[in-house]
Amino acid sequence: MVHGEEQWTSGAGMAKMSRRTFLSRATTTMVGGIGALMGIPTVAYLVSPAKARGGLGVDRLPLGPISKFPVGEPTLFKAAIERKTGWVTQTEELAFYVFTEDGRNFSAMSNICTHLGCRVRWITDDEQFFCPCHSATFNKNGTVASGPPPRALDQFELLVEDEQLFVVGKVEA
Amino acid sequence: MIEKIDLWFEERMGWRPIWKALALRNIPKVTWAYTLGSATLLVMVNQILTGILLTIYYVPSPQDAYNSVSFITNEITAGWLIRGLHHWGASAMVILAGLHMIRVVVHGAYKFPREVTWFTGLGLLAVTMAFGFTGYLLPWDQKAYWATTVGTRMLEVVPVIGPWLLRFARGGEELSAVTLTRFYGMHIWVLPALLMLLIGIHMFLVVRIGISAPPKASETEEEGPELEVEA
Ligand code: HEM
Ligand code: FES
Repeated sequence: MVHGEEQWTSGAGMAKMSRRTFLSRATTTMVGGIGALMGIPTVAYLVSPAKARGGLGVDRLPLGPISKFPVGEPTLFKAAIERKTGWVTQTEELAFYVFTEDGRNFSAMSNICTHLGCRVRWITDDEQFFCPCHSATFNKNGTVASGPPPRALDQFELLVEDEQLFVVGKVEA
Repeated sequence: MIEKIDLWFEERMGWRPIWKALALRNIPKVTWAYTLGSATLLVMVNQILTGILLTIYYVPSPQDAYNSVSFITNEITAGWLIRGLHHWGASAMVILAGLHMIRVVVHGAYKFPREVTWFTGLGLLAVTMAFGFTGYLLPWDQKAYWATTVGTRMLEVVPVIGPWLLRFARGGEELSAVTLTRFYGMHIWVLPALLMLLIGIHMFLVVRIGISAPPKASETEEEGPELEVEA
């Protein structure tokens, strides 16, 4: 025999519901509730690390006295930074092309191609940056001259203090 | 709508008899104590799901284990929750399985024809405790390290093969990276496989044989309790 075929009323004026229907709905509701209660934290848990944005890792990165930067030609500078990804802290090498026309106003560009991330290099004869992966070229100021890259090279914000040059952050595109 | 979808699948898969056998099966009139097995099962599902989530960030190496665990607890959204559920669920599962077992003993439900259910139950309890033991080492903190040092050391008193067992459990003389990875492998591959096998048999038998009715108190001492073979 099957239990719970009897009808029961849970209060005056309430519609009759079989015990089986009640229990089946109550079970479905509880399972759904637990599912939602667990589902939301699960999604948050999985998405969590994707929210972290890689910054410089330091407030300011010293590049040295401004007198040492060649005038008129972008020059590659490398600096090591400590970066924490997850629970691992690694030393990472950042490279920028520092450029100045007058020895007082500086700009710094990333050497990472905005197409698919290869490293660009300055070709003195052509007065252009060249990316070997898909033959893109960028102008002296970082704007795209030719090829597939969707936007100019990333710029870094700079600061001159006591004749010293510092990188202070990435300029958000 | 739902009925239509249900019918669409039913026509192609014919799974209604299976649903009937599992969810709509007849059972004797039972008490709340009979829900202890299902409660254990629910916690088991919790352990499986939260355990899988923990492997997304956990790394079983001496350099990374502790840091990856504290990363989960302190930096990942809801990481404290997922880890907390797995941590407390481990104890809850041992307690619930124990209570479930007591209920089975008190009702004499282990007797014919349910001996195999009982034996697989013993296996499940052993597997559950092995989960607890191997899982305890994984955070690789002081407590984990010394608890496992002591726990594995106990194997040494086994006659004849004791010293060998100790070295086998540790994967060498001392606790090391080798111990950590073998405990991890046990915890996430070997034991789950055993658990699935045993729970499969256990649950099959619960459905196939049907559960026992609560024993009735006999009217006269001489008669002895009524033997209910089939529910
Ligand atoms: C590891 C986790 C375990 C799970 C998930 C589990 C699950 C279940 C479930 C859902 C039932 C149905 C009836 C009830 O809940 O009382 C059951 C029955 C049973 N279990 Fe377990 N069980 C576990 C461990 C054990 C242990 C440790 C023993 C004893 C050694 C055991 C022996 C039995 C027996 C003999 C039955 C049949 C009871 C009857 O027919 O009345 N189980 N189990
Ligand atoms: S990656 Fe630089 S052009 Fe494609």
